Amino acid sequence: MIPSVAPAPADQAVPATAVQPKSGAKAAMTRFGSHRLFTSPGGVAGLVWLAALMAASLTAPLWLPFKTEDQDFTAVLSGPTAAHWLGTDELGRDILSRTFAAAAGTLGTSMITVIVGVGLGTILAMVAAAGGDRTDAIISRATEIMMSLPGTVIILAVIGAVGTNIPVVMAILGVLISAGIFRVILGQAKSLQSQLYVDAAKVDGVSPLGISIRHVLPGLTNTIVVQCALIFAVGMLIQAGLAFIGFGPPIPEPSWGGMIQGASQHVYDAPWLMVPTGAVLALTVLAANAVGNALGKAPNTTASHLPSAAARRQRMKSVKAAVGATASAPIPSQVVSAKGLLSVRNLSVGVDHGVRLVTDISFDVEPGTVLGLVGESGCGKTMTALSLLGLLPSGVSVAGGQILWNGTNLAASTDKDMEGIRGREIALISQEPMRALDPMFTVGYQLTAAIRRLRKVGKSEARKEAFSLLEKVGIVDAQRILKTYPHQISGGMAQRVAIALALSGRPRLLVADEPTTALDVTVQAEILSLLRALVKDTGMSVVMVTHDLGVVADICDQVAVMYAGQVVENGKTAAVLDNPRHPYTLALLAADPHTNAAEDMPERLATISGQVPQPKDWPTGCRFAARCQFAGSACTVPIPLLPSGASDGLVRCVKADELAVEGLEWVATEVPTHRLLEIVEKDLA
Amino acid sequence: MALFITKRLLMALATVLVVAVLAFLLVHAMPGSPGAVSLGAGASQDAIDAVNQRLGWNDPLLAQFFRWLGDAVQGNLGVSLIDGRSVSADLANRLPVTAALAAGATVLSAVLGIGLGVTAAVRGGVVDRAIGGFVGLLVALPAFWIGVIFVYLFAVQASVFPATGYVPFEVSPQDWAMSLALPVLTLAVGGAAFIARQTRASMLEALQQEHIRTLRATATPTWKILYVHALRYASLPIVAGIALQFIGLFGGSVIAEQLFAMPGLGQAVQTSVSTHDAPAVQGVVVIATVVVVAVNLVLELATKFLDPKLRAS
Repeated sequence: MIPSVAPAPADQAVPATAVQPKSGAKAAMTRFGSHRLFTSPGGVAGLVWLAALMAASLTAPLWLPFKTEDQDFTAVLSGPTAAHWLGTDELGRDILSRTFAAAAGTLGTSMITVIVGVGLGTILAMVAAAGGDRTDAIISRATEIMMSLPGTVIILAVIGAVGTNIPVVMAILGVLISAGIFRVILGQAKSLQSQLYVDAAKVDGVSPLGISIRHVLPGLTNTIVVQCALIFAVGMLIQAGLAFIGFGPPIPEPSWGGMIQGASQHVYDAPWLMVPTGAVLALTVLAANAVGNALGKAPNTTASHLPSAAARRQRMKSVKAAVGATASAPIPSQVVSAKGLLSVRNLSVGVDHGVRLVTDISFDVEPGTVLGLVGESGCGKTMTALSLLGLLPSGVSVAGGQILWNGTNLAASTDKDMEGIRGREIALISQEPMRALDPMFTVGYQLTAAIRRLRKVGKSEARKEAFSLLEKVGIVDAQRILKTYPHQISGGMAQRVAIALALSGRPRLLVADEPTTALDVTVQAEILSLLRALVKDTGMSVVMVTHDLGVVADICDQVAVMYAGQVVENGKTAAVLDNPRHPYTLALLAADPHTNAAEDMPERLATISGQVPQPKDWPTGCRFAARCQFAGSACTVPIPLLPSGASDGLVRCVKADELAVEGLEWVATEVPTHRLLEIVEKDLA
Repeated sequence: MALFITKRLLMALATVLVVAVLAFLLVHAMPGSPGAVSLGAGASQDAIDAVNQRLGWNDPLLAQFFRWLGDAVQGNLGVSLIDGRSVSADLANRLPVTAALAAGATVLSAVLGIGLGVTAAVRGGVVDRAIGGFVGLLVALPAFWIGVIFVYLFAVQASVFPATGYVPFEVSPQDWAMSLALPVLTLAVGGAAFIARQTRASMLEALQQEHIRTLRATATPTWKILYVHALRYASLPIVAGIALQFIGLFGGSVIAEQLFAMPGLGQAVQTSVSTHDAPAVQGVVVIATVVVVAVNLVLELATKFLDPKLRAS
C-alpha cells in the first residue's frame, strides 16, 4: 500500500545536471519552475482543483447544505437528487457534505507527511553531499535499510502502539518515505556540491552549513517542489487506505477512505456510492500528480537514435509524397551511375518544421578516395555525415537536395531501403568508440551478429570471419578480445573493434565521424594509418569528418571546409591547404599549431574571435562575416560558391581574389596588454 | 562478486535485526499489558499480574528482547494473547496466501507494465500519449477502490470470479486460482502503472544511447534493436523497479486481504493490531520483513547479474 516513491522514473524527474542558481525575483520564479507550471494545462487544472477544494472545505460550515452527521431516513442510499446532489449513504447522510467536510483534514494531514518526508530526505541528502564519503556511505546504508522495509506493516504496528493518531502516523510515514526522497535528491545535491562556485565559497571560508543553505538548497528547489506534490498524493492515498481498513478518524467523523469503505459494503445494492467517494479522492491525487509532473517535466535534450514507429510512419508518408512528386517531374540528368560514387547535390538538413542546420551542400566522393569535411563544432559536419546513412537523430531530417549513391537518391529512400544500404554499402564509425559499442554484449557477439546479417553466412563461418577482421584491424590477441565486453578494452582497441564492425559488410563507403578525436595522440596516428591502409587494400572511399587539419593533410584527397552549415571552400587537399582562398580556411590554418613549422612558429597562435552562430541566427549574407578580419559592405548579400582558380576548387567569398592578389594573412589579434608588454620587452632585449 | 553477496547478506541481516528491535519496542509501547489483553475486560488485577509474571513482562526490556530473539531464531514466535495459538504456526499457514498474492501481483504487474511501457516508448505519438494518460489515471486510483469496482464488475454483474474468500491450493488448484484472480488483479493495477512508467523512461533512455546508431548502421532489424538490444539495456532499471514494487505490493496485500477476506499475513497484521495482540504483531512484522528483504536480495543479485560490468568484477 505504500507506493515506492523512488527512484523516480525519468519522465517525472530531476534534471541530472545542476543549474547554477541565479539571483533576483525573476530568476527565483524560473527556479521554482512556475513558468512551466502555468504553461501546462494539467498543472493549472491541478492547482485550481487543490485550491478550490481547500477553500471549499475550510468554509464548509458556511455553505454546506447538511451537517456531516445529519441523517435523512427518508433518503437512505439514494442516488443524486435535488436535495442530495451526490446521493446519501446507508444512514441517509449527505455525501457531498461529508466529502467536503473531510477534505481539509485529509489535505492537512497529508501535508505532515510531505513536510516530514521531503524535509528529512532533503536534509539527509544535503548532509550526505556535504559530509564526504563516510557520512554519505552511512546515510545511504541507513536509507537502503529503510527502503527495503514493508512500510505498511510497520505503519500498522505504529498504529498498534500509538492508536489511530493520524498526525503522528502521517509523520512516521514521512520518515519512512524520506529514504526514497533522499535517493532522488542525493545525486543532484552532490553535483551542486561539486560545482566550482561551491569550491570557491569553501576557499572563502563559508561554513558547510552556509554552503548548503546558500548554494545547494536553491538549486534543489524545483526537485523539492516536485517531490512535495508527488508525496502529497502518496500521503492522501495511504491515509485513505488506512481509513479503509478501519484505522481512520473516529467513527462519526467523515474521511474519504472510510466513506469508500462504507460504500464498498453496499456495492451490491447501491453501487452509485462508489462513484463520488472514489472520484473526489482520485481527482485530488490526479491534481497533485499533475502539478508535480508539470513542474518536473525535464526538456528532452538528447534525441532518440531510433525514431518511434509514429515518426517512421510519418517519414514513410513524406518520402512517398516526395517520390510521387518527382515521378511526375523529370529526374535531373546529373545522375551518374559509376560504382561506388557518392554525389551529394544541394543537400539541406533541418529540424522538422524548424531551422536548417545544413544548407545547400554539394560534394562528390570518387571510389577509393578520401574526402575531409572540416570545420568547427556546430558547422553541420556530423549532420551531413549522418544524412548519408539516413541516421539523422529523430526530429532532424533531410529538407532538400539529393544524396546520389550509384545513381540512387538516398535522401528519398525509405528506412526499409536504407537497411539494404547501411553496413553493406555505406558504413559508419563514430567519435566515441566506447559508446558506439553495446555495453551489454560481447565484442564477439556484436561482430558475428553483424557478419551473419550482412554477409548471409553461418555461425561458425561468421566467427572465423570476426576473428580475421579483428586481425585485419591490427588486434593481436583477437581470440581474447572476442570474449570481452566493451568496458574491458581501451579506447583505441574499441575504435579498432568499431572499425572491424563497420567493415563486416564489406562497405564501399565509410563515413567516419571524428574517428580519432576521443583518442590519445599516439593512438590517433595508428588509427589513421589503419584507415589509410584499408582504403588502399579495399578500394573503398571515406568521408572523414574532422576539425583537425592535421588529419586532413594526413589522409584526405579532397577537402570541403564547412562553416555554419555551408561549404565555404573545397578542392584538392594540397591545393586548399597550400593555397587557401577563403578567410575561414586561412583562419583555421593560422590557428592550427601543427601546420606551422617549428622555426616559423608565430609568437602567438591566431584565434578566430567569437563563435559559430546558432542556425537561427545565420545572416542572409556571408555567414562568416561577423568573425572575419576582411569583411566589408559587400559581404552582406548572399555569396555564391565560385571557382577559386586553384585547379577545380570552389570558394564562397567575394573577396577571395582580392585576398589572393594581396597575399593577406589571418593575423593574431586582441593580444591582452600584459602579453603585449612581454612581447615588447622581448623585442627590446 | 562474492564480496558483494556477503555485504548484501550482512545488510539484509542488519535490516531484519533493526526491524526486530523496532517491533519489540513498538509492541511494548502498546496500550495494555499482555495480561490485560489476554484476559479481556473485567479480569481482576491479580489475575492480570499473574499472567504478566508468567510471560516475563516485568523483566528488564533487554532480557525480554533477547529471550524473544533466542526463541525467534529457533522458529518460536510465542503464542497469541487472544486465542493462545502458536504465532509461528499461524503465520506459516498465512504466508502462502500472501506470497501467492504478492508474487502473482508482481508478475502480473511486471508483464502488464513492461508491455505498456515498451509499447508507449516504441510507438510514440498518439499511442504514447494515450498510454501515458491511462497510466496516470491508474496511479491516482486507490487499490481498494479499484478492488471494489472489480468485485462489482466481475463478481456482482458477471459472476466470473468469486467476490471474496480463499480456497487453499491443496483443496482445489482451479478454485485456488479463481479465488486469487481478483485480489491479484487489484494489486497489480497500481504496480503495472509504476512499472510502465519506469519501463517507458528506461526504454527511451536506452534508445538515446549511441550504440543504437551503430546497430542501425549495421542494418540491424528494428525489432531486434528494440527487443534485444534496447530492452536488454533497459532491463537493469526495470528489474530494480520491480524489486521496489514487490515491497509495495507485499504491503498492499493488507488491503487486498481485508477487501477479499483472504487469510494472509496482511489480515493477521490488521486483526492483531486491532486486538493489541503483541506477540502476533511482533511476529508478523518480522516475518514480513524477512520475506521482503529476501526477495529483494534475490532481485538485486539478479540486477547485478544482468550488468556485465558488475558480473565481471
